This record gives sequence, C-alpha cells and structure tokens, in this order.
Amino acid sequence: MIEVKNVNKSFGEQLVLIDINAVFKPGKINMIIGRSGSGKTVLLKSVIGLHSPETGEILFDGREFIRANIKFKREIRKEIGMVFQGGALFTSQSVEDNIMFPLNLFTNMSKKEKIDRVNFCLDRVNIHNANKLFPSEISGGMQKRVAIARAMVLNPKYLFCDEPNSGLDPQTAILIDQLIHELTVEYNMTTIINTHDMNSIMQIADNIIFIFEGRKWWQGGREDIFYTDNTELNDFVFASELCKKIKKSNS
Amino acid sequence: MKLFSVIGQYLILMSAVFTKPIRTRIFFKRVFEEIEQIGMDSIWIVSIVSVFMGAVLTLQVAINFTSPVIPQYLIGLSARDTFILEFSSTIICLILAGKVGSNIASEIGTMRITEQIDALEIMGVNSANYLILPKITAALISFPFLNLLSIILGIFGGYLIAVMTDVVTIYDYVYGLNYMFIPFYITYSLIKICVFSIIITSVSAFHGYYTFGGALEVGKSSTKAVVYSIILVLLFNLILTQLLLT
Repeated sequence: MIEVKNVNKSFGEQLVLIDINAVFKPGKINMIIGRSGSGKTVLLKSVIGLHSPETGEILFDGREFIRANIKFKREIRKEIGMVFQGGALFTSQSVEDNIMFPLNLFTNMSKKEKIDRVNFCLDRVNIHNANKLFPSEISGGMQKRVAIARAMVLNPKYLFCDEPNSGLDPQTAILIDQLIHELTVEYNMTTIINTHDMNSIMQIADNIIFIFEGRKWWQGGREDIFYTDNTELNDFVFASELCKKIKKSNS
Repeated sequence: MKLFSVIGQYLILMSAVFTKPIRTRIFFKRVFEEIEQIGMDSIWIVSIVSVFMGAVLTLQVAINFTSPVIPQYLIGLSARDTFILEFSSTIICLILAGKVGSNIASEIGTMRITEQIDALEIMGVNSANYLILPKITAALISFPFLNLLSIILGIFGGYLIAVMTDVVTIYDYVYGLNYMFIPFYITYSLIKICVFSIIITSVSAFHGYYTFGGALEVGKSSTKAVVYSIILVLLFNLILTQLLLT
C-alpha cells in the first residue's frame, strides 16, 4: 500500500501540487487523471522520488520515502517497476539485455536462470522471438510491452505507469491495459497509472484520482464517474462527443 | 553566483560518481566497452593528426633554420620536445575534447531526455556512478596510450620528412632526437594527459547529465561540453606547467 499525505510541491513560485492526500491499495489499479499541466505527472514522479516534495509524507507499506536517505530509497526502488511514457528502454541494448539488466545488477542468478526468467517475462507480455532485436527494430506497442516485461522482471510490489497507452493504436492500447490489469491481480501489485485515456479509465480503473490545478479534486471508482456532479471532472471526462453520448445513454 | 552554483552541482555529481559500483564485474565490463569507444575509436584520428603534424612541423622548422650557425640536429630536438611537452598531451586532448567530449555529452544527454536515466534511478541504480565512472576510468587508461602513440607517430612523421626530402639528414634528425633528452618530460606529459582525461570526461558527462528539454538541448549540451572542456584543459595546462616545470 502506498500512502500520500499532505504533499505539496512547487517549482519556483508556482505551486504544482497542493495538499495531496491519497491511498493506493495493493491488487488494485489506481489511476491519476487530469488535464495536461494539472500536476499528475509531478505527483507520480514525486511518489517515486524523481521529484522532491517540499512538505508531506509518502509511505511505502509504512516506510517513509521522501526523507529517507539515498541508500534506503534505492532499497525501496528495487521493489518498484516503472513503465515510462516512451518506454525508456536502453537503446544500446537488445530486448533480452534490457530485461536482464535488473537481474544482472540485483540478483545472483546463473546465466541460464536469467535467460529463463527473461523468456518467461517476454512470454507473459506476448512477445516471441524478439530477444536479440534492439528497441529501434521493434514497434511502439512492442516497446511498451518490453518495458512492462522489464518492470516486472524482479516481481515488483509496486508498478507505476506513466501514460502507458500514449502513441498506441486503440487495439494495442487495450492489450496493454489488459496486460497491466492481469499482472496487477496476478502479483497483487499496487499499480498506479497516470493517464488521460478514457478507454483505459473505463476498462481497468479500480480507484480514480482526478487532479485539477494541483489539487485532488475528486476520487472514486469508474462507475461513479458517470453520476458525479463535479463540474470540472465532467468537463474533463465528457469532453468528446462519444463520451457525451455514452453518458446520455447511461442516464 | 551562477559559477559557484555550477561548481557545486559538478562536485555533487562527482561525489555520486566516485562511489563503489554495485557489481564490480559489470563495472569492468563497462570499462572495457568504454575503452573501445573512447580509446580504440580515437586511435585513427590521433595517428593521422600526429603523423601529419610531425611532418609539417619538421618541414617548417627545417625551412626556418637557415642560419649556418644553427645546428641541423635541433630540428629533431624541436620535433621531439614539441610533441612530448605540448602536442601529444594538450593539442591531442583538445582534439579528443571535440570527439570524445561531444560523444559523451550527447550520449548521456539523450539518455536523460528519453528518461533512460530516470529508469536507472527507479531501478535503484546510482545512474551517475553507473554511467560516468566507467567513462572516466576508460579515459584514464586509454588517454596515456594515445599520448605515447602520438609522440611516437609525430616523431615518425618528422623522420619521414628526413627520409623523403633533403631538408634535414636522417643522421641529424636522429641525433637531435637523442640530444639532451630529459625523461621527466615524458612523466610531465603523462601527468597532464591523465588530468585532462578526467576533465574532458567528467565535464562532458556533467553537461550531458544535466540536459533538460529535447534534441536541441542535447546539441547545446554537447557544444557546451566541448567549449568548457577546452577552456579547462588550457587552464590546467598552464597550472600544471607552472607546477611541474618551473
């Protein structure tokens, strides 16, 4: 479980996160949604320690993270898997080496064990016969799946995804969503996804946090989103004609 | 104030760089990879520049030594001392600042803007140590070899002039090479290139590591890395010469 308590973050004079409180439970998909520039990426990066909030606490299963020393932070980070928006695969390494990278650094597995683990992870994300290919030789959807495989190779307790569907076609996006959902349930991970993809929200979100102008504006499940009277959330969610029609038919 | 801020930022980065690597085996593997990229891939440029400069320098000195009172062996002596004292350490490092420095800054800068460095940090890896320490170590190992190679090839370039032209005899040139040789000059040259290798790799890595933005900023970081490396190499050349030779 990840707890965010009274987190504030600013860049210079500009307040980006204002008194954010949230609880992210294990085995659930938690989604941070909001308009571009609302502060959702800053919140995600603050939780994983890439930004340092000025005040507040972030607890990973009760362990304080923000004020922990760098050594302790690195220990917690070994329990984190992260899928970046662009995949962030190491371009100079093959698919196999990318996934094997955390194993080389943090385990004492034999070469065969490592290859078996890599193949298991690749199989799990439905990638076959691509071990020796380089990131530039595979499609965007495959890169995302390799990034997921790399994130899960050490069996993380916490999975973070920064806009995992950006730049993907709707069908591939659905596959990625399903994969993240399956892995979350299978490994009982605490998953936090930063997105503004309404399909993802409607398909797999268990807990939704809506960030508006740096504040937590609304929180609830995906069913609640249709019946809320929160104006800003409605403006965000039902911005497209398709979503307006869905809401109309639901109501 | 900004200067102190940048120096502070550089020192903080270096304190993260000079820590114990997570896995010694992986560290050495990366050092060998970097030796190939930083050292081996620079052999051709160092060789070409040294041979041609040795030849041209010998020609120019020979042409200008027209007075009969100036002994011809001074041509060999000047070629030797120029290469040992200045060319093979300082000038070669200025060339390497352009080749190696821009390569390091753009490589690390690209990793920064494509979130690969963030990915390393999230995995619990000290990204500064993992990325930069092997480069500094590789440069410290390979630059002195490039220095010695440059000295040998530069003198060889001059020798070719002695063989192919009649501006100086082979005997005079070789006699000049051996005349009043001071072995400490080699030590001085090696000390300089070791210091310069740390400057070039660390300053370039610093500019790459703190790249923010997009492709344009990577280009700017690369340019800054080369410019600041060259300025610092020249500054430390002066300081080291003052300390070691006077």
